[in-house]
Amino acid sequence: MNLTVPAAGAIIALVITTLFVVHPSPYLMALFVFVAQPLFLIGALLYVGRVFRELHAKDIL
Amino acid sequence: MLPFAVPSIESVVKALGVILGILGILLCLRILRVRPPDLTSARLIRLGIVTVPSAAFFKLLAFAALILIPAAAVAVANYHVFEGVENVEGCASCHVMHPMVNDMHDAGSNTLAARHYRRRWIADRQCYQCHTDYGLSGTLNAKMEGYRHLARYVTRTYPEPIRLRGHYLNQNCLKCHKATAGFENVQSHHTVWDRLSTNQMTCLNCHGLAHPSPGDRTPGSREYARLMRAPE
Repeated sequence: MNLTVPAAGAIIALVITTLFVVHPSPYLMALFVFVAQPLFLIGALLYVGRVFRELHAKDIL
Repeated sequence: MLPFAVPSIESVVKALGVILGILGILLCLRILRVRPPDLTSARLIRLGIVTVPSAAFFKLLAFAALILIPAAAVAVANYHVFEGVENVEGCASCHVMHPMVNDMHDAGSNTLAARHYRRRWIADRQCYQCHTDYGLSGTLNAKMEGYRHLARYVTRTYPEPIRLRGHYLNQNCLKCHKATAGFENVQSHHTVWDRLSTNQMTCLNCHGLAHPSPGDRTPGSREYARLMRAPE
């Protein structure tokens, strides 16, 4: 289960989110809303996809 | 009486956000260092009183780093998106809103917003109290509109002076003024009630401007520099 892409995306999203929480401003809010949140979602979907593929390969699903 | 000062919700949000952010980044960095043999080896990892196979441990780690912590971080950060914007400071963080905030704080201004502020008719969150149906602090439709505002603000694709999109609903005024003696004792309110309650005429028709005029907020106007300075 290679999770390099989801983990790298989550790191970028977490950095943006942390900066926004510490210093809320319109530009950081836009980065959080339009970049960080979609990155979190894509990362989570990739992770869930990998889990399902692995379970399918093991004939569990 | 508590022996310690209760922290404000903003402080709690900030602290939680930082903790989640740092924890999430550390877990993701650990996941980046996972090698395929880690997921197939029979090595056991001790976690306090529990012992788990290394493959299961890294999968749990991935679940926490990619699902649990991001979900918590998004929930915490969205406090600023939906709650923080209810404060006047939240509105004033966009410079196009400076004229409205400066005018509201201006003791010499005669606009409706300034009069409400000066006489303490609205104690706090003054912008939000009159604009509950507008922007990120409003209804679901208003939140979608708020995202559009945000996108246009950061991409600077908006014309000055900014204008209210759609119509200002009288219900925002009437929720406080209706049924008060001050409102009911004015005969003209009863005369035009049908039109007022259906938004066919606006309260501003008789009560003047709510904020500085679009002319004063136009770049190059005599008032523009004064209105656009950063609010104190």
